[in-house]
Amino acid sequence: MHNETILRIDDVVKKFGEVAALDHCSFNIEQGSITGLIGPNGAGKTTLFNLITGVLQPDSGHLFFKGEEITGKKPYEIARRGVGRTYQIIRIFPKMTLLENLVVVGKGRERRVMERAMELLQLVKLSEKKDDYASDLSFGQQKLLSLAQVLMFDAELILLDEPAAGINPTLQNELMALIHRLNEGGKTFIIVEHDMGVIMNHCQNAIALNYGQKIAEGSCSLIQQDERLLEHYFGR
Amino acid sequence: MAFLVSVPFFASDYWMTLLVLILIYTVYASGWNLFSGLTGYTNFGLAWFIGVSGYVSSLLIADHKFFWLLAWPIGALFVGIVSIGVGYILLRIKGVYFAISMVALTEGTRELFGTEYLEPITHGGKGVPFVAGISLSALYWSILLLAFMTVIVCYKITSSKFGLRLMAIREDEQAAETLGIHTTREKIIAFVLSAFLTGLAGAIHFTYQNYIDPSFGFTIHLTLTPIVMALFGGVGTVFGPAIGATLFTFIHEILWAELTILYMAIFGGILILLILFFPQGLLGWMKERGVLPRIRKI
Repeated sequence: MHNETILRIDDVVKKFGEVAALDHCSFNIEQGSITGLIGPNGAGKTTLFNLITGVLQPDSGHLFFKGEEITGKKPYEIARRGVGRTYQIIRIFPKMTLLENLVVVGKGRERRVMERAMELLQLVKLSEKKDDYASDLSFGQQKLLSLAQVLMFDAELILLDEPAAGINPTLQNELMALIHRLNEGGKTFIIVEHDMGVIMNHCQNAIALNYGQKIAEGSCSLIQQDERLLEHYFGR
Repeated sequence: MAFLVSVPFFASDYWMTLLVLILIYTVYASGWNLFSGLTGYTNFGLAWFIGVSGYVSSLLIADHKFFWLLAWPIGALFVGIVSIGVGYILLRIKGVYFAISMVALTEGTRELFGTEYLEPITHGGKGVPFVAGISLSALYWSILLLAFMTVIVCYKITSSKFGLRLMAIREDEQAAETLGIHTTREKIIAFVLSAFLTGLAGAIHFTYQNYIDPSFGFTIHLTLTPIVMALFGGVGTVFGPAIGATLFTFIHEILWAELTILYMAIFGGILILLILFFPQGLLGWMKERGVLPRIRKI
């Protein structure tokens, strides 16, 4: 049903000094999919997120979002086209209230922005805390707020960097359920996660990176049987 | 307000002078806070805004016989426009490097304005004495109006989405950028607005002094004093800098009159204690304690 490519990574190289964090990496992400991005520490997962969002620029290669080239674009331009991300180490605005954290990224008329912000706070079950500073939230709640921020500017492609790490199982389940609901509503997700259980249970596809190279790609069940991946990733 | 407007009808020149200074520093401290308090980019070159605008307006009045009311906004517009370029270049430098680069800009401009090469325009190190032909009352009303407008602008901005975007830059600039905020543009707008308002007060300041020279126009005191006032009142609050300016001008007046020699030492001591024990300032402290509501509009 969803076959259109929303994101195309084409032969991307990114080096830090002599080390290639991404080494001729290429893949496509389909619209409406949830893709897991896996690989050991230093495999290039976060670097890839930084390249997609324009925080870093590739040394060579091209990135396309919805068919348009986004290579070399500024982070805010890419965000406005519809790419949102959350960070592994949460980056919300601590000394601003929850409501302000959302309103600040909203576009359009004041009243509509306020309404939308309240809707999203209800969605992530934080509406009662709307006037608290974001720094007063628990780690897990901050992750939810961070996701709400991304939804606030209607990102279509959402990159989540370890969304399940460090939060309690109840909140983790709520978060994943929310991601599925948003996915049914048409959002595309790429999820970096170390917990293979999360990837296998929640992603349709997975891409495995090692030393900046794509070493496997496919449906989660296929990935699970990939010898090379198992060798690299689980040390077997 | 009505009381402040009617002051010239009954107050002595001493009180008028003190009020003029308070109002000038209210604009300086609020203008500094408008940019630095909200974005977190500490501007150590406030004196540059003040000096450049002060020079332009003073020279227009002294050498080109401009009417003061016309010379002031030209000075402020001039520094505002130049600030677009300065901001475009310097606002990509973060943290302490930005602060240092603004100090360097101020010092460099001070040297430049004092050189013999520019003497035909700036009068070099000799300075520019002039008489603008403005009464103390008219000057008082002008700076009162400007201070009032500045606080209104700060109020409007702090409670607006633009203000929130500036605060987001202060909180986490990269996150703000990946959330779709054009951080460079927002920073430049705030920087230029700060330059314009501060510059306008600077023009009035030197008209009031009837004199400007490089070391007077670009002195580091014109940068540090407003920063201390803003810190004292509450960085990032609407009324904090105005309160800080008022209290500090009084403290300054008392200390200076009573303890001329020790004055700078005591001033420095207060500054250190302030930063150690009172980093959020008077209003910030009161908000934290619940004496004042924790809303942006104060």
